Amino acid sequence: MYEVLMFDGGVHKVEELLNLVEDVGGFVLQRTQVQVMITLTLAIPSEDRPLIERKAAELGGKIVEVPLAGTEIAVIGPTLGRHHMPHPICDIAEHLRRYGAITIVMGLARGRGRKTCQISASEKAIIEEYDAAIFMLGNFKECVTHEKIDLFKDIQIPVVTVIGPELESLPHCEALVCGVGRKVERMRRSEEIAKLEEIADRVKEVIDTRRQEIEEDPLFVHPSEVKDALDDMEAVQVCLRPAPVVLHVDGLRVKIPYKEHVKELEELEVYGHKLKDIATISDCRLGDSTIIKIRTKAEVEGKVR
Amino acid sequence: MVLWAVRCSHPDYWGEILVQFELEGTEQYALESYQWLLERILMDMGISTMVEKAKFVIRPDQTLFIISMRIKQASGKRPVYDIADMESQEGGTFITIKDESYAPRLLATLWKLYGRERVQQLTRLEIFVEGVPSSELSEMKLDPEEEVRSQLLDAMWRLLPEGLKVRNEYYDDNVMTIVATEHGMTVDFMAEAQKVHRYMIGNEEEA
Repeated sequence: MYEVLMFDGGVHKVEELLNLVEDVGGFVLQRTQVQVMITLTLAIPSEDRPLIERKAAELGGKIVEVPLAGTEIAVIGPTLGRHHMPHPICDIAEHLRRYGAITIVMGLARGRGRKTCQISASEKAIIEEYDAAIFMLGNFKECVTHEKIDLFKDIQIPVVTVIGPELESLPHCEALVCGVGRKVERMRRSEEIAKLEEIADRVKEVIDTRRQEIEEDPLFVHPSEVKDALDDMEAVQVCLRPAPVVLHVDGLRVKIPYKEHVKELEELEVYGHKLKDIATISDCRLGDSTIIKIRTKAEVEGKVR
Repeated sequence: MVLWAVRCSHPDYWGEILVQFELEGTEQYALESYQWLLERILMDMGISTMVEKAKFVIRPDQTLFIISMRIKQASGKRPVYDIADMESQEGGTFITIKDESYAPRLLATLWKLYGRERVQQLTRLEIFVEGVPSSELSEMKLDPEEEVRSQLLDAMWRLLPEGLKVRNEYYDDNVMTIVATEHGMTVDFMAEAQKVHRYMIGNEEEA
């Protein structure tokens, strides 16, 4: 099983680390260099972690845990109006990035109000492209428990709900964090940062559960192995969008248009298999991107046989 | 229905928040959090010292939100001769503004009184008013509360839940009340808002 870690150190002799990563069959997911400092997000086989840690220490760098690396998470607010944005939605999104997640912020078109709040089928479909969703709701208990829960009732991915009033539990969501309601300023006090940590912990838990579910019927290849193959595509290399390939728990998002590159993607070779045989390739709802869902070992081997 | 009311007046640890709050409603968390939100909004806008008292009535089960605020008496109206030099000319008065911070308010007041046709802004600080003697203009006083009221309204709009779009306003010299709901405004809601408004004006027995 692959483990995602982050190396934080200097560029001196970093090639030695990169060679070691390659030797153990790992991948560099992201490389950020600022002058003589470098940050590498690595996916390596779990059993080889001590080797990597030893090399990192030898180079004077450090290995940082990034439990949410390789995930893309949507933070959703009732609207994008100033009543809900930028705080606390952006604060939550920003905090999750510190744990390695790629986050997006989304506002529903008609999510505000009590009885008038609603979510459309296309909004649900967009949300379901992510690994987990965080719904940021408001301060009214009555409103949350009776009406707002319908917003995430049918969402098929894990949902973490963040609300103001204290509640024991809430239906239709995998985790609940109370005590974060509407905000008009940045969450920077110690108790607010503790709440952000709590949200990150709940997200880690739901992502871990999702990963364990996947482990029961493992994917044919790890998403980072597909990323390695995708990085050689010219369309990906010339893509100017930040992070052209984003890892998901069970696949990837490639930021190249589906219609133009679907044939090329289908024929892409990963460990002797064409990508179309080991993954489902589909158009992204947000446009100009492609979603790749990797099939499980059982699905692929059953088909090959 | 549980009615919960509290009367509190506390200096906030971030600064000089000395607004007296009265909270009434069915959910303690909602009331306290909206009090906190209003304090932060007022502080953010720099008008927390201008508000004397605020009252909330929040009943999420009925989708009712009433907010009423009373502003402190401002230091007083400022005469125009204090902020501008006036010179009688043929056909009108020529005004040269000395205190630029009053320029927008003076111009807006002149437009309101004499119409845009008769008031010409020649340069940034020069205004010519047609057909008005300087004696009449020098008697005019500018009301600083006008700006406070507009800022107060902005603060209330920032605070009111986004989904409660059906709103009614009541305003007096020093008190502004907004009642907001989601679907239809009922007579009972309006009557309650008027009661709160009268109470905030000073008829304490109304509460």
